[in-house]
This record gives sequence, C-alpha cells and structure tokens, in this order.
Amino acid sequence: MTTATDTVRGVAHDALQPPRAGTKAPYYEPQGNEIEVFEAAYRSRLPVMLKGPTGCGKTRFLEHMAHRLHRALVTVSCHEDLTSSDLVGRFLLAGAETVWQDGPLTRAVKGGAICYLDEIVEARTDSTVVIHSLTDHRRQLTIEKKAEEIAAHPDFLLVISYNPGYQTVLKDLKPSTKQRFIAINFDFPSEEVERKIIANEVPGTPPDIVTRLVAAGRKARLLKDHGLEEATSTRALVYAAHMINAGLEPIEACRVAMVNPITDDIELTEALLEIVKAHFSQWKSPTASTG
Amino acid sequence: MTAQERVQRLLHELGVQYPFAQRPALAAIEALQQHGDEVIVRWLEAARRLLEFNRDAGRVFILTSARAEAASEIVLPWTSQALKFLHWPGSAGAIEHFMRSVPDAYAALGHAGQARWAEIGFMWYSRHSESGRVYFATPVSDLAARQGITGIEQLCAPLEELYESRKLMLATYLSGALRVRNLLGAQAILPWAAQGAEIMQTARARGEAYFRLESEESLSVLLEHVPGFRMGQRQRLLTLLLTVWYERDFDVNESSWSPERGRPFVEADGRSLHIPAVMPDREEAILAVLHAAGRIVFGGFDRSALAAIFRMLGAELPASGPVSWAPLFERYGPGMLRFRLLFDLCEALRVDACVQRVVPNYLERLAEAGAARRDPLNPALPYYDLALASVRGAAATVRGKAADLDPRMRRLLEPGATLVDAYRIADEIYRASALPEVEDLEAFYAAYLPGHAPQATRPAQIPANDEPAQGESGTDTSNGVNDGETPEQGEAQEVNEQGEASSELTQQQGGDADSSDGGTHTPKFPGSEPGRAADGDNKGKPYPEWDYRDNRYRQNWSWVQQKPLAESNLAEANKLTAQYASTLKRLKKAIQTQKPTRMAPKVRQFEGDEIDLNAAVAYLTELRAGTSPEAAIYRRREVRQREVAVTLLADISTSIMQHLPEGGGRLVDRVRAGVLLFAESMEEVGDAYSIAAFCSKYRDNVNYYTIKDFDQPLTTAIKGVIGGMSGRLATRMGAAIRHATARFAAVESTRRLLLILSDGRPEDYDDGGDRRYLHEDTRMAVKEAVTRGVHPFCVTVDTMANQYLPQIFGRGHYMVLDRMDSLPNKLPEIYLKLRR
Repeated sequence: MTTATDTVRGVAHDALQPPRAGTKAPYYEPQGNEIEVFEAAYRSRLPVMLKGPTGCGKTRFLEHMAHRLHRALVTVSCHEDLTSSDLVGRFLLAGAETVWQDGPLTRAVKGGAICYLDEIVEARTDSTVVIHSLTDHRRQLTIEKKAEEIAAHPDFLLVISYNPGYQTVLKDLKPSTKQRFIAINFDFPSEEVERKIIANEVPGTPPDIVTRLVAAGRKARLLKDHGLEEATSTRALVYAAHMINAGLEPIEACRVAMVNPITDDIELTEALLEIVKAHFSQWKSPTASTG
Repeated sequence: MTAQERVQRLLHELGVQYPFAQRPALAAIEALQQHGDEVIVRWLEAARRLLEFNRDAGRVFILTSARAEAASEIVLPWTSQALKFLHWPGSAGAIEHFMRSVPDAYAALGHAGQARWAEIGFMWYSRHSESGRVYFATPVSDLAARQGITGIEQLCAPLEELYESRKLMLATYLSGALRVRNLLGAQAILPWAAQGAEIMQTARARGEAYFRLESEESLSVLLEHVPGFRMGQRQRLLTLLLTVWYERDFDVNESSWSPERGRPFVEADGRSLHIPAVMPDREEAILAVLHAAGRIVFGGFDRSALAAIFRMLGAELPASGPVSWAPLFERYGPGMLRFRLLFDLCEALRVDACVQRVVPNYLERLAEAGAARRDPLNPALPYYDLALASVRGAAATVRGKAADLDPRMRRLLEPGATLVDAYRIADEIYRASALPEVEDLEAFYAAYLPGHAPQATRPAQIPANDEPAQGESGTDTSNGVNDGETPEQGEAQEVNEQGEASSELTQQQGGDADSSDGGTHTPKFPGSEPGRAADGDNKGKPYPEWDYRDNRYRQNWSWVQQKPLAESNLAEANKLTAQYASTLKRLKKAIQTQKPTRMAPKVRQFEGDEIDLNAAVAYLTELRAGTSPEAAIYRRREVRQREVAVTLLADISTSIMQHLPEGGGRLVDRVRAGVLLFAESMEEVGDAYSIAAFCSKYRDNVNYYTIKDFDQPLTTAIKGVIGGMSGRLATRMGAAIRHATARFAAVESTRRLLLILSDGRPEDYDDGGDRRYLHEDTRMAVKEAVTRGVHPFCVTVDTMANQYLPQIFGRGHYMVLDRMDSLPNKLPEIYLKLRR
C-alpha cells in the first residue's frame, strides 16, 4: 500500500487509485465515434478490444477514457513468458507463513478498475484463457489455486489491444477469444485531427510547422507497404515537433524522429528524406528571417 | 648531268611509261619548285617507284603532293614516308589513304606530330595490314579529337596493352574506340575495350559486334561508364517517390537511350514512363521523373483536350491507338522546332504548376536546378532563359509574391488550364516573339530545363474515352497485362520480357477478350470442351474451384498433377551457394542466436533434468498454504519445443524469367537463390519443411512439383533441382494452395505454415481475362486452408500486389518485397519472423 508521502512525492502511485477529481484528463483527440462506442461498451460492461498500428493513440485513448469514466487503470504489458499466475496472483512465503498475493488482474477485478492487457497476442495461450470467464455474462475470475471464484466488481472492465501486423500470423488470437470483445479499430488520425494533436501535445509549435509535419507524415505513411514494417506514427510526428521546439532544424528533427528510427534501408531513407525536404526546405524559422 | 636535266629526263620517262601521270606531275612540280631541283628529282624518283608499285597509288601520290607541300612546306619527309609502303605488297590502298591524310596531319599535328602519326600507322601496318589501312583511312581530325598528337596517343595507348595480351587489332578497335572517346572521354576506352577483347577471344562474331557498338553488352558496358545518376539502379527510389507524391503506381520502362543520342530525357507517353539508363545527376533525375509522371496524371494526354486541338487544326483525332504529335506542329513549317520548344515550355509550365500542388517546393527546386545548370554557351540560351524565367515567375506566384511572369502564361498556372491552353498560348507567343531559329537538334535539346523533356518524341497512348483522364483507375491499363483492348505498343522493341510473357497470355485469350469486355464477364473455359481434358491416369487429383458469379463451388474442376521437377542444375546451385555464402553464414548465425530461446527449457514439468526453482518455491508455498498443487517443479530441455511445419510453395510461371528492373540477371536467379537459402536455413532451424513449385495451363493441367518432401533430407540432388528451377506457363494459385494444404495432412505439427512465393496475380490461360475469377477462387482456397489449420502467407515481388493481395490473403498475411534483389536474403528472414 502506498503511503501518503509517497503519493505526495509522486514516487509511487497505486494503480488501483482512480484519477483524482479535479485533475485534467490526459489529452485525447477523437478520430471518430470511439468515445461514444467505448462509453456504451462500458455502460454495458462489455470487454473492449483496441486494434491498430503502433503509435496511433490506443494507450492514450484508454488513459483518457479511464479518467473520463473516473476509473483506475491497471495496465499489463503482455510478453511471451507471462503466466497465468502473473495475472491472477500467487502464494508467497512470509516467514513460516504463506501469503496470497493478488495479481494485477485480480486486483482490478476486485477493485472495479479497468484492466488493460497490452499486446495480448504476445502472451501464451494458457494465460489468455483465464480471461474467458471474465469476458462473458459470468464476469467471474476463477482462482484455481485458492479454489475461489471472484465475481467482478460492477465497475470492472477488461480491455485488450493488439496490432494486426504480419508478425502475428501464427500467434493470432483464437476466434473464440476474439468474438468476446467489442472491437474498436484505430488508424492514424485525419489530417485535421493530427494537426490538433501535435499542436496540443507540443504547445508553442508554429502552426506552419504543424501543418508541414502532418503533411510529411501522411506522405511517409504511403511507403508502408514498400518495405517499412511500421508506418510513421503520430507519436513520431509529436517527437519531431518536440525536437524542433527544442531548437533543432526541422529537417534534422524529422530525420532523427521520423526517418532514422523506422528504417535502415538506404532507398527508403532517401525517399523519406525527400518527403521531409520537400516540405521543409523552404521553411525559414521566424528568428532567422528577421535577421 | 645537272639536276634540271635529270628532272627533264625523269619527266620524259614518266610520260612515256605512264602518259596519264605526266600532266599531274608537271602541276605538282610547279608547286614544289621552290625546294629546288634536287628535291624534285628525289620526288620524281619516288613517284616513279610508286607508279611501278601500283599505278593508282602513284597517281594519288602525284595528285596529292601539291597539297601536302602546301600544308607542310617540306617535301622529303612525307615522300620517304610514302616510300615505306613499298615494303609491303598490296599496300596500294593504304598509300592512297596515307597521302590524302598527310596535309591534314601536318595542319593538325605539326611536323613532329605528323611524324609520330605516321610512325604509329607504320607500326600497325607491319603488325596487321588491315589495321594500318584503317588507321590511315581515318581522318586525322577524328583521331586527334582537337588534342593534337596527344589525342592519338591517348586513343592508341589502351590498344597497345590489349594487343600485347589479347592480340586485339586496331582495325577491330578503332571505329568503336573513337565513338566511345567522343561520348565518354578517353578514360572510358580501356575498360570498354578490355571487355571487348575478352569477348573477341571467345567468340569472334560477338566480339566484332561489340566493337562496332552494336551488341547489348557493349552498350551496357558503355552505360556503366557514363557519368551520372544510374536510373536503373536507383529505380526503387524513383518509384517510391512516385508512390509518395502521386499515390499511384506507374509503369516505368527503361528507354533505349544511349549516350550517342545526346541529352537523356525521361519521357512519358500517356501510359508509361520511359527512363534513360543515366541522368546527369540525382536532382535532375528526380525532377524529370516527377515531371513526366505529372504529365500523365495532370491531363497531358487528355483525350478531349487533344481532340479539341485536332479540331482546331481541322483534323480528326484517331479513335484508338497511339497518336502522333506531328499534326500539331506541321503548320509551322520551318519554324516547327521553334514552336515545339514554345509549346513544350507552356505545357511544362502548366504541368509544373499542377505538380507543385502535390509536391511542395517543386517549382523552387526546378528553378534552382535550372539556374545551376544554366550555361552561357548554351546554343539555345534565349529559350532556356525564357523557360527558367517562367518557372521562377510561377514559383513566386505560388508563394503569393509579386511575380515577373509573362501575363500570357498566367492562365497556365490556374488549376483548370488544359493542354489546349498550352497550345493556344504557345501559338500566341510564337507569333509575337522574335526568338532566334533553332539550328540543330543539339540546340533543340539544350533548350530544355533540367527535368523537362521534348514531348513529341513518343506517340501518345491516350486513355480511352470512358476512362477518366486523371483518375487512379488508369493504373489497371498501365499494367498492360491481359489488357484485351490495348493496342499494340508503338515501339515493339521497348517491350520487355515480362511484356512478352504476358502477351503470350493475351494471345491465348485473343478470341475471348471481346466477349468478356462486353460486360457479361463470362470467362470461357477451353478446358470444358470435349477432348481437351487429359486422360485417365495422368489426370491427377481433382479439387473444387470457387465461382464467384454463381456463388458456388464447381466440383472436381481443377486437376492437380503432382510430379517431380525433371530439370536439374547442380552447377548453378553450387554457384549460388558460393555467391550467397556470406549471407548464409549470417543467417545461420542469426538462427543460432535464436536457438537458446527456442531451446529454452520447458518450465513447470512433471519430470525433467533440473529443478525449476520458481515452480518449486510456488509449489512449496502453495503446499504450505494448504492447497494441493501439482508437483510440476522440473525443467526439461527439449530440442523441438515449437512444432512448426512449413511448405514453401514457389510460383514458377513464365513471368519469373523476366530480367530484374535493377539489372543483374533474371528474377529466376533470385528465386533459386531464395529457395536454396531457405532450405539451408531450415536445415539449421530444424523445423519440418517441404519445398514445392507450381504452374498451370488450363484448369485440368495444374502442375505441382514436389522438390523436397517433409521427410526427405536435403540432398545434393534436391539442391540441383532447385538450381534448375525455371519459369513456365501460368499461375492457378487456388488449386496449388488446396493441394499443398492437403499435403499437410500427413504432417504432425501444431503450427503449419504455407509460405507462398509469387511474382504476380493469380492468372491462367482460361480465365478469359476475368481476373476476379481466380482472385476469388484463391481467396476461398486461403480460407479453406485456414480452416484446416494451415496458415498461408504470401511473399511477393509484384509491387502492384497491394491492389489484390489484401483481398486474397487478408491484411498482414502477405508481404511485398519491392526489391527482387532482396528476395534471397529476405525469404529465410521472413520465415524466422513468422515462426517466432
């Protein structure tokens, strides 16, 4: 349990703590009706699946929704070695005694939080089956080791995410798992929305820069099926804006934020840089042009 | 006897013996008079000896002497040079050539130079009389190339080496070498000639064609030495940029440009881009490709606009087929080139203004490149400057600044401007302007800004009426494959091998094309005709095929015959193994580093070699907590933790025989290498795998070649078969997928992967041009495979694949390799990623 001082110092923050009233919700710019869909799903307590490419705002969306619905958010990043005990909980030795320690999923179930299993396909199938009983009408979590069945808190909601990339061909979710979810498709936002996002994320970016960044990003995404495994994300654009704000030349900022991280291919690098240069080579920083 | 008397006597004798020579001799003596009688005597003696040697040679000697003296102001040196030929019987022709060249040699090279020139010639004559003759027959100005004797030395130096080592003769070498030097400079001669000498030694006729610059290999060696930006090697970058800016695919062909044709241009014909092998630099190449594609996209070949122009001229636009631009210029008569320049300038400005709308900063870039390349000695400078000024004006206008643009041209910057406006405005400017005449083609070419190109060099391939001129749907026809209504290409030699392969398909369907274009979409099935079906035993295994039009399966429709691949080429396999040895080493290393995770001990086992500490603690804890946990507290190392079985199914239709757009061989070489590397990597990985290939001709003849079965080891025989893989027939993918899926039945593994290697869309001779039919069938075959627990994944090198693969395989279940060259490396990598 976190102590009061910890909370004050900001060192630790209990995942089960709902967002404090009065704080501002994390910024999220809706791309479509996803907020309404999520709210409707939450009202009916139906589990939700967020699908979409890396860096298009899935996690941010969920943070925003958790705040909006005033629910705590418990995030578990799934990986290959994740076992069901990691999710549900396990006995621990404490002196001569044993103590049962709830896993994050169990805590969320009990505490009425939103539990977010990020990149669920990465987890092994035996750990994904524990969620089955939670995702249908039963809304129960079975803890085999304690021979317990926990009925979920009325506010509990399960959310999973996955990125249907080609690496997941052999690891796709089972159809029986998939069909238990309401699925919201995410994609990179529209031009207008993306401009708003960058302007909001990096306050003080000149609107001209924002426009050019977004236009360059859209063009860069067209190279997705030409050798790029992941398209230029909104996050990369935000990073580029940060770098420009920190004083880097725009072309250089784009190179380090949008080009270098995603490819080592020479031709792709050149093509991406062509895009960046076309958008920025006529750009003069306001300070430079006055001189 | 005085010298004068001797002159008289010699002249008399000459007149008696050779009456035809007396009069010219007298005329020559007149010219030589100032050198005194002694000299004339020696000259006359030489003339007589030469006449004795050969009448024609002597006569030419006498006739050309006056000019030789005039150029050299001496007599004896060239006289004695001429006499040297007397050593060689049959050198009469050479004497003639020599004497005719002497005056030029003195004029161009000076005395010392002339002596050296003659010396080199004699040396060659003594080595090989034909070479000597050719040498002297070649005009001195060509040999020297305005560089005096140095030019000749430079020309002959590479040859000396090759004569020593490879017995290359000057006669073979000279004409080509001269052209090579003119095009690319002296330094390009040696590598070009060295290659030629090598060919000459193995195949004489080929070598001669090489030195006449007539063979492909000669041109390609030359192109390698043309300085500048290699379009072929960088084609991927260029197509990436086209994709980025125009958001569609273009058909890009290499044009038949060679350095002799003057300045290289990227040309558009309404359907395709034609790029030269080399452009001067990257900037010009990019601008040119963007501009040429812009012409296609922004109505440069708009049917209605062209029809309007033709109407203005009182002509009729041909309803179909390629359209010549000539009628547009005919009425300008001698001013035609001038008008063409102005028309191209206006049209280029119009297109550039449109391109600027999709490519930011394009006009500035063009203006910068234009300014950088401005040459004050440009023979067409007024035109060049006019174009440059118009681009600058347009760039300023776009930025909303005061623009110094000809008011007549302003209309061209408006979004609604068309080809007709460009033609009208060009005419207006032509009538009012006092621009100088364009003298020759060189000046004409020099008038274009970097990136711009003469338009009318290729007949326009105008999209048909019902197609939107600017629409994306144009991509279908630009593909050219299976296009029933496509008129024959204007330039047949431009059609590449891929085109040939597919035209074979088109011809096969010739009769069917019309009916399927009528909108009924009823593919005909030659296979359904009686007698076509193969008989009994060889018929193979039947599979259903999905017919989307009836929404049902046609039972027992496609017949798959499984057979071994007969061809084998172990030498090729060994060559590929050697060639890709380093890649393979790298792959194997990568696999080994992956192994520890793959070999990771199984945790929480009921039995095993070691104790799983975490599990043991958990077990004890739970025990103490009063539950009765399962005693799974061991770890066990196991080699095959993941049961994956994979079939690599290669499409070996005719199209894999195409040459790679980036050069360096054919696609089939990469396919062989890819399959071979895949096999070698799989041996390292240890998963069960099989390799098969397929092709088809009609529904009842789908060939499925098993190259390596699951339970077979990888033997040299199998490697040989992989080395011998070659392309044939068409691609009935659905049937092949069904058969491959069926073959998985015998394999025990939890995960089954069907890796399909393809280079184009599913197609067969009997699909009647209805692409959708086999697409839909393949889609169904994929679905069936998934239900049977087999995961199909398609790796393709067809860059157009984005148009159809998502529908067939679904998002994320295919991968487009846009560089065929990368296939061998990528194929094993893709598998490793997939199985992770």
